[in-house]
Amino acid sequence: MYRKLSVLLLMLSVVLWVSVIAVPMIGAQDANQDIYGRDLPEDAAPYDMQVWTQLCDSTRQETSLSSVVTVYQRICGDAHIFDKFGDSLVDLDENLNLIPGAAESWEPSEDGASWTFKLRPGQVWSDGTPLTAADYVASYRFMVDPANAYDFVWMWQGTIRGWSEAVAGEITPEEMGMEAVDDLTLVVHTDGPRPYLPGTLYFWPPLQAKALAELGPNYVLDPATSVSSGPFILTEFEAGNRVVVQANPTYNGYRKPFLSELRGIYGDQLNGSFLAFQNGDVDRVNYVHISPADFEVVAADPVLSANYRPNFGDFRTDYLFFDTYNPPFDNQQVRLAFAKALDRESIVANVIGSQFGIPAYSFLAPGFPASDTEGALKPIQAYDCDAAKALLAEAGYPDGAGFPAQELKLRGESESRANWFIAAAASISDCLNVEITVNNMEFSAFMESILARPTTLQFGAVSYGMDYLDPSNMLGVWVSTGRHSWLNAEFDQLVQDANVLVGDPAARLAMYQEAERILVEDVGGIFLVHRIQGDLFQPFIAGECFRPDAQGVSALHWGNDWCWGSFYITNGVMDADTYRNR
Amino acid sequence: MTGYIIRRMVALFFVMLMVSIIVFVLMNAVPGGPFSLGERGYTPDAMANLERKYGLDKPLLERYWNFLSGALRLDFGYSFAVAGNPPVTDVILRTWPVTLHVGIYTIVLSFGLGSLMGIVAAYRRNSWLDNAVTFTATLGITLPNFIIATFFLLIFGFQNGWGQDPRKWIIPPLSPDSLPLLSWDYFLPVLTYALAPLALVARYTRSSVSDALSADYVRTARAKGLSHRAIMFRHVLRNALIPMVTVLLPQIPNLLTGSLFIEVVYGIPGLGKFFVTSIFNRDYPMIMGLVLLIAFFWGLTYLLTDILYTLIDPRIRITGRGSA
Repeated sequence: MYRKLSVLLLMLSVVLWVSVIAVPMIGAQDANQDIYGRDLPEDAAPYDMQVWTQLCDSTRQETSLSSVVTVYQRICGDAHIFDKFGDSLVDLDENLNLIPGAAESWEPSEDGASWTFKLRPGQVWSDGTPLTAADYVASYRFMVDPANAYDFVWMWQGTIRGWSEAVAGEITPEEMGMEAVDDLTLVVHTDGPRPYLPGTLYFWPPLQAKALAELGPNYVLDPATSVSSGPFILTEFEAGNRVVVQANPTYNGYRKPFLSELRGIYGDQLNGSFLAFQNGDVDRVNYVHISPADFEVVAADPVLSANYRPNFGDFRTDYLFFDTYNPPFDNQQVRLAFAKALDRESIVANVIGSQFGIPAYSFLAPGFPASDTEGALKPIQAYDCDAAKALLAEAGYPDGAGFPAQELKLRGESESRANWFIAAAASISDCLNVEITVNNMEFSAFMESILARPTTLQFGAVSYGMDYLDPSNMLGVWVSTGRHSWLNAEFDQLVQDANVLVGDPAARLAMYQEAERILVEDVGGIFLVHRIQGDLFQPFIAGECFRPDAQGVSALHWGNDWCWGSFYITNGVMDADTYRNR
Repeated sequence: MTGYIIRRMVALFFVMLMVSIIVFVLMNAVPGGPFSLGERGYTPDAMANLERKYGLDKPLLERYWNFLSGALRLDFGYSFAVAGNPPVTDVILRTWPVTLHVGIYTIVLSFGLGSLMGIVAAYRRNSWLDNAVTFTATLGITLPNFIIATFFLLIFGFQNGWGQDPRKWIIPPLSPDSLPLLSWDYFLPVLTYALAPLALVARYTRSSVSDALSADYVRTARAKGLSHRAIMFRHVLRNALIPMVTVLLPQIPNLLTGSLFIEVVYGIPGLGKFFVTSIFNRDYPMIMGLVLLIAFFWGLTYLLTDILYTLIDPRIRITGRGSA
């Protein structure tokens, strides 16, 4: 009797204990697994700490979280919060080669005048709707529609067939050269062979065709209506205050995130980013928000300096330019005199800092396709004050006599960046005995002046970085229909021919190299510095993203959107004082 | 009095009309535009599309008329620069409460503490108290608030981590959707914002009270044997209030409409930053909405100032057309 009772009690207690332990685990998130059921990396912090926060700029003009709606006014623009609700057709690896994104493959037609993209099967929106080629078509039709006044239409003008005509309202968006052949097949027709077309499709995760039609483009701004086929989904949004995206449980694309949440919080991004970083409030600071004084702190701190990761960024080059249609800069000798009076080595060493830039003697930065890796162009504009004086004298201005005073106009540069150009002006002025003042203009006013035809900007300085990895993009700003008042017919022809050349990549690159030689020799611009960009990360940020590239550089490279599927927070965060554990 | 107020309100309407014309013309005359952004600018077709979309392709006069007819219904159009292009009125209604909270606490602190400091300094002229008030006032006036804000962040937010949650000193979690009546989150922004007006109030109060204290009527009151309290409230403060009202009341519209520096440095999602950012962003509808808002406030403040004169000084009477 007692034995039976004991067995019964024993069984009951076992059941009780099993219930106590097992029931809370049913449906619970394992601390070491992500929402896709994958084990986190061995050194990862628990999943509830897989949060990433960045500071956004309170003063920026921001209107959408999607590049399909705007490029220049993206919300939390340099903090990588936007465009997480879908995958672009293609992505870039750490060596900036195209890799599959939403498209698993792509190929040109035999004549090179159209490209066919095959989408990965099984991709789905968070509301259960399948992601199809029609979503991409609807997004591109939205961009080209004049009624939507898209701000980045130049990207495919002269590239996608009918794009320019649709922007001008001469044909309907539906007639533009993009079609969904079936759910998984997207065909893009071009204005002739455009070998660089796939690279231009890198930026644009799609909007959902259905939501776009029913709710308009602002559906992405409301967590109640926002849908996602990308790695994250919008959960909170207060304009100018806070934006939160969380891992999208229905995502089955190529970059499933270990991070559970990305947060953008608003503040004084320019002056407050490094302070917030030091305080453990944010996880990454871009180099443009780290002042020279902050950099001294970084350099002196072994942990900080180990986690500052330089990269090529968008291969940005800072340079000086002229109105070459009018005196005195219509004279190539004058331009070359100015170029040879610029002591770049000294400016980079003493003003810019050699860790932040490489003296530039041409436009395309080292590593960019068709760039002057051998330094063959260097002697053309290299510093030689005596030669510069001689050139200016030959042009009719011996020792600067009679040369009109110049104003070097800048595009609303930060104080530290303005100092680069003040030093450049001083170098030219000292060598040539010409008067140069520097005027740091307001951004919009500068852009209006530079783009006006005839331009109202005689002498200025600015920078440019790529939009896609092809010389057609970078050199495109120098063609006579680009943003500068410099015309060289031979340069224009070479760029135009190279842009459409297919089947011989080596010959194409050689044409761009020749075009750049003309640009340097004819002194369309005076090239000052190729920027070395970078990001400061908290030491507990890790991920495959930081695997070294072919040059051994370990960084978050421009365009490496796959990185957001690799980042995670290591358990080193447990010992750090951050917002996660306060 | 009622007739006077009505006349002043009508005059204010015409002032706002003139302000709107001047600002509308000026902002359109400034080089650049709302869409002169980006590295490559816009193609002519793209620019034409943008101008058409935002109604900027119409003649200036027609645009002004459209603005005016909307403004009379408190419809200032849609912001060019805020997410989702919401109506300007919505942006103002959403963000202004945050700014008002900070502004009202700033007024209470600066006017309350400042006048107290000024009175004490005037009563203890040339004492260490007076010197301390003068020193503080000079510091408050000469130090720009963005310098003070940065120092406060360094001291309280980073180096000492003062408080239970040091994060709040860097990124205060204030939000239009969760706006507490009282919170430590207001502390640093209000302290920073209050220093300059506090200094001004202290200086003017000291000066006005000092003048009143040396006046003949105060000597007479003392000779009559009136108590210190009676002299202070009946004679000194009342007479000192007129110059103080003239100088200090116009501070209020500024404080209630916010500051770019305070809001950006402390991450406050208020209205103040738009007074500057909308100009740089060429957000024309927002510029017009804000300019009219602040013009209305200024007009109202001057009306209030004039009415206060009559309450403070019995010699001042509103007797007829345009006189006060």
